[in-house]
Amino acid sequence: MNKKNTLRRSMAAMLATVTLGAMALISSTVMAAQGPALKSGDEYMIVANYPNQMHVLDLKTDSIYKTCDMPDRFGPGALQVSPDKKTAYILNNGYEDIYGVDMDTCEVTFHARMAANKKERTKTIYAFALSYDGKELYAVQNPTLMERDHYRVQPTRLAVYSTDAGVNAKPIRTFPSPRLVTAMQVGKDGGLYMAGADIYKMDVKTGEYEVSVPSRNWKRERYVQPDVLNVWAVQTPTQDFTILYTTARFQKGSEDLNSADWLYGYFNINLETGETETKDFGPITEIYFTGTRSPKDSNIMYGVLNRLAKYDIEKQTLLKAAELDHSYYCITVSNDGSKLYLAGTHNHVAVFDADTLERLNTITLPGGDMSTTTAQVFIR
Amino acid sequence: MKHLKPLNNKAQLLDSAVEEGQVEEVVAMQSIAGCTATTDPGWEIDAFGGVTSLCQPMESDLYGCADPCWWPAQVPDMMNTYPDWNEKAHKSGEDWRNLGTVFPGDND
Repeated sequence: MNKKNTLRRSMAAMLATVTLGAMALISSTVMAAQGPALKSGDEYMIVANYPNQMHVLDLKTDSIYKTCDMPDRFGPGALQVSPDKKTAYILNNGYEDIYGVDMDTCEVTFHARMAANKKERTKTIYAFALSYDGKELYAVQNPTLMERDHYRVQPTRLAVYSTDAGVNAKPIRTFPSPRLVTAMQVGKDGGLYMAGADIYKMDVKTGEYEVSVPSRNWKRERYVQPDVLNVWAVQTPTQDFTILYTTARFQKGSEDLNSADWLYGYFNINLETGETETKDFGPITEIYFTGTRSPKDSNIMYGVLNRLAKYDIEKQTLLKAAELDHSYYCITVSNDGSKLYLAGTHNHVAVFDADTLERLNTITLPGGDMSTTTAQVFIR
Repeated sequence: MKHLKPLNNKAQLLDSAVEEGQVEEVVAMQSIAGCTATTDPGWEIDAFGGVTSLCQPMESDLYGCADPCWWPAQVPDMMNTYPDWNEKAHKSGEDWRNLGTVFPGDND
């Protein structure tokens, strides 16, 4: 961050403090506008990083379009974009608060504290999502009662907020929730897909839920239980909610892991149609933290951690891989499928040609590590 | 369990769970996050017993492990206990020398 920027931010913050002194109690809403409004039809990407910022990147030029300072403290910087592409919702403040940020003005227009009262310490482990129309926000909350001499873990709950509730939003409904849910998306039919031990589908009006895609409890002949990492709920151009798994498949008549096939695969829910898939796409030769399919060709799967890899799903073969300068957690793809954007870990967004896997660009963010931020790509 | 005697509260809880037939309700976590002791590969060795699928360099993975309290034994828990651990090291790759060890204080 250069000195001029720091000064501008300090002055803006001072001015906001002076003129809006009466609002000091809700200081999280006092954010200065930084950078221009987003342009209709243009493609952008958002990411968050230390010390506590959200960046909007212009994907036409692969450069930083604007930076918004976030209230309170960073962590984890998990992001979801509203369906009208005007508001970014960020889980932050040490996993305890969700803020809605107007991307045109950087103003915080929505704020929900996950704790229901002062005695609670409540964390949301990445698991929040917006309804298909953007009117409701859903969060899985893990509350602990902080008693004077001991903690008391409370049942996990799903809280529903109205996104027009402003900066002191309270839940309009709460339901008992399955535990261990760490990534969520909502289908066009209104069902909330909750990825945990299995992928559940919840009716957000009644709180009833059922297993939509079995994971821990899948019944696949000769397959062992899968290992799954549900952290990055990436909103894809094809409305697919995609989660990778690893597993082993025994040889016929054997239950010997030494001779088993070790496989990568994906769970997929098409949020538009509700169609679900559980499909292997290749042998495990390295670890990927996230994967996404090409919007140009649904038979192509990309994965990333220490390398960027590209698979032919039907043939279950690795087509190509690119070396990386360091690990990246989160992969996203441009709407036309031509470019891949790698984010998370340090403060570099790596841009790759989706066909050749040639590195096209590196966008270095002001500030520090992105850690486990969720990158989201969208067209305004 | 008949040869084992519970010595602390947690062991007594486990003992009573056995007596009440509730052991089956205790299942291994498949999705781990949030201050849970874990033996999942990923920090010292990777899933293949080697190191090439560990995050590289290890600094790139530091805050991804510390923020969500993923490896509470290996790195400080920044979610609750040491939120300011990286206050002077926002860029882990360049500033890691500013990261110190942490010790429980008298109040912890």
